[in-house]
Amino acid sequence: MKKFLLHFFSVLALVFLLIFFCDILYSKIYRDAIPRNKLHYILNLKKENFDVVFIGSSRVANHIDTDLFNKLSNKRTINLGVEGAGLNDNMLQLKLLLEYNHVKSVFLQIDSNLETTEPSNISTAEAMPFIKNSIVKTHTQKYNANFDCLYHIPFYRYAINDSKIGFRELFFSFLNKKSGIDPSIGYTPKFGNSIPNTPLAIMGEKIVLHENSILNEIRLLCKQKNTKLVLFMTPLCSKINPDPYIQKIKNIAPDLIDLTKGYPDAMFFNCGHLNDEGAKKLTQELFERTRNQ
Amino acid sequence: MLFNSLNFALFLPVVFVLYWFVVNKNLKFQNLLLLVSSYFFYAFWDWRFLFLLVFSTLLDYFTGLKMSQTQNQNTKNTWFWISIIVNLGFLGIFKYYNFFAESFASAISNFGLQVNPWTLKVILPVGISFYTFHGLSYVIDIYKDRIKAEKNFIDYSVFVSFFPLLVAGPIERATHLLPQIKKKRVFDYSKAIDGIHQIIWGLFKKIVIADSCAQYSNEIFNNYESMNSLSLFMGAFYFSFQIYGDFSGYSDIALGTAKLFGIDLLRNFNFPYFSRDIAEFWRRWHISLSSWFRDYLYIPLGGSQGGKFTKIRNTFLIFIVSGFWHGANWTFIVWGALNALYFLPLLLTNNNRNNIEIVAKGKRFPSVREVFSMTTTFLLVLISWIFFRADSISIALKYLQNLFRFNFKNGMEYLEIERYSVELVLLIIFFLFFEWISREKEHPFFGKWIYLKLVIILLSIITLGVYSDITDFIYFQF
Repeated sequence: MKKFLLHFFSVLALVFLLIFFCDILYSKIYRDAIPRNKLHYILNLKKENFDVVFIGSSRVANHIDTDLFNKLSNKRTINLGVEGAGLNDNMLQLKLLLEYNHVKSVFLQIDSNLETTEPSNISTAEAMPFIKNSIVKTHTQKYNANFDCLYHIPFYRYAINDSKIGFRELFFSFLNKKSGIDPSIGYTPKFGNSIPNTPLAIMGEKIVLHENSILNEIRLLCKQKNTKLVLFMTPLCSKINPDPYIQKIKNIAPDLIDLTKGYPDAMFFNCGHLNDEGAKKLTQELFERTRNQ
Repeated sequence: MLFNSLNFALFLPVVFVLYWFVVNKNLKFQNLLLLVSSYFFYAFWDWRFLFLLVFSTLLDYFTGLKMSQTQNQNTKNTWFWISIIVNLGFLGIFKYYNFFAESFASAISNFGLQVNPWTLKVILPVGISFYTFHGLSYVIDIYKDRIKAEKNFIDYSVFVSFFPLLVAGPIERATHLLPQIKKKRVFDYSKAIDGIHQIIWGLFKKIVIADSCAQYSNEIFNNYESMNSLSLFMGAFYFSFQIYGDFSGYSDIALGTAKLFGIDLLRNFNFPYFSRDIAEFWRRWHISLSSWFRDYLYIPLGGSQGGKFTKIRNTFLIFIVSGFWHGANWTFIVWGALNALYFLPLLLTNNNRNNIEIVAKGKRFPSVREVFSMTTTFLLVLISWIFFRADSISIALKYLQNLFRFNFKNGMEYLEIERYSVELVLLIIFFLFFEWISREKEHPFFGKWIYLKLVIILLSIITLGVYSDITDFIYFQF
């Protein structure tokens, strides 16, 4: 039995050793790699000056043609929209960006993302290799109930996010393989058109929209950093009537720039996302409506 | 309680310590501990169905005793049939009632009659097919005078409910397991080490191979209508390894866990994907079920004795019943029938026992002919898995239709899970390499490279395992 216990505890020790080793290795590879996502790109930015930063979900990433906006405005612009990102994620992006860089204006997309304050993709997965960063740590501690496990148990943060920051992503980072998205530009156009054959729906008809604490924190953060905050909402296809919802948003954010009108279905990739043609029109409109601000 | 859960990782050491350090001097207490632990293990899933398990155990225990005690054949027959009817009755109600009710309604509707089937909204008690078959084999063996009835209720209950095999087998025989339960068990170092290694190998199969393949195969099967032939082939390929990794992984963990308590369970898998024909495949896949059907259904029906008609009838019967055992769906019946079709030519030409030994025994590489036979057998099995995996016959046929359209446009298709459906192939090749080098053993941890292999496999479990989406073992649903 003694011999068995010795072997068993040796295997157990080996497991712990491998877990520690993997944790260190993964963190180092991610830290040293060329950024493959926008959060990592932000973390690598130091003392940069941006005139305009667009931030939000895929409805920013797919909608704001940064090159076009640069050309029209002659301002340094970046699109930090990320697919699946919520306001909580956007706040983490902004905290990191504004801590070490200067931004004149932040354009934040708001719509149904006002309904939650929970972290998603970026805060729960993409930020995890950088959890030792004080801003990421404080943010995770505040919003992620699993913080203790994520922070203190080696490799736990990589294991539970295996599909996002697991071996496959690590391998690509190790090879310094560039991702399909250039984070320094950030615009990811969609091409084609497929509007579903569904009846008209009224957006968030039964939802009572309350003040969103994250939005308030973002407002406060921008104020502290002397950054102008512009809120805007992007279009939806004709199958969705967003008007009652927009009214509810305006009760919380009277300064909202409503960009939901004037986009025929032919300009949509799907009901929630414009295609490249629509995105160019939207960028142009947004520029026109904010040029004097 | 899942084998791949934190709960089990805590449960197992506690039972192990109590078993070898607290009650080790007394066999009765050891067996009692195993029984209590097994009931706790089962109740952790759903305590209500524990009563069903206890009832089933009591029924077979008492009918076994009654059959043994009586000299009257009629009384023996009566007790035997009570046990068979009640056991199969429970299985029928919980597992098959809805299927029969719906199939009946559907058949009646073909004659223009509309029947609204009264279906039961019940959960299938986990492991019911397995512990029912344990009990059945015990009762049949007593009826046929192969064994004597077990008088000690605790010992008999451990035979039915021993936690490593309780929910997904292997399906044990009283002749194999009961003598081990009744014998004093002394701690065996090499057996316990072997058990630990087999558990690690089982975890690798489940967490790394099966769960990774599941992500891909689920994605492809759920979107089969829009996939090209190459992606559909990969979907079936991944499912083949998902189900193998899942079920054989479970069996490895079960066997390894039992070894920690000094008990050997029946081997359930013996490298089935290295089979050279379908007969060999069925001698290597889910062995405890195949042999159960062979001993308690096929041979009593006459087996391969008698004329061609009897052979054909018996072959189809055993495969169809085996398919139906898996679940109440026509897809499983067709899966069974298809395997019978594959098997029949071998049986009728007396070639069904050509390949008894493992392929390339004592050699490093197989011959070209063996590679060809293994590939052909695997492809036949792969096609049958499409029926096993699909939700309905029509979906399976449509899947096959699209697969054989030979549309390779766009190559490997990108999946919603942000993967190309080809990346996992490398991992499967890595897995097959380990399987190949250990094909004459139970797992790869032997020989002088044992520690290197341990490091590689543990590292793979840590880095390549799927932890974001912990899934049940597939065979829990059966």
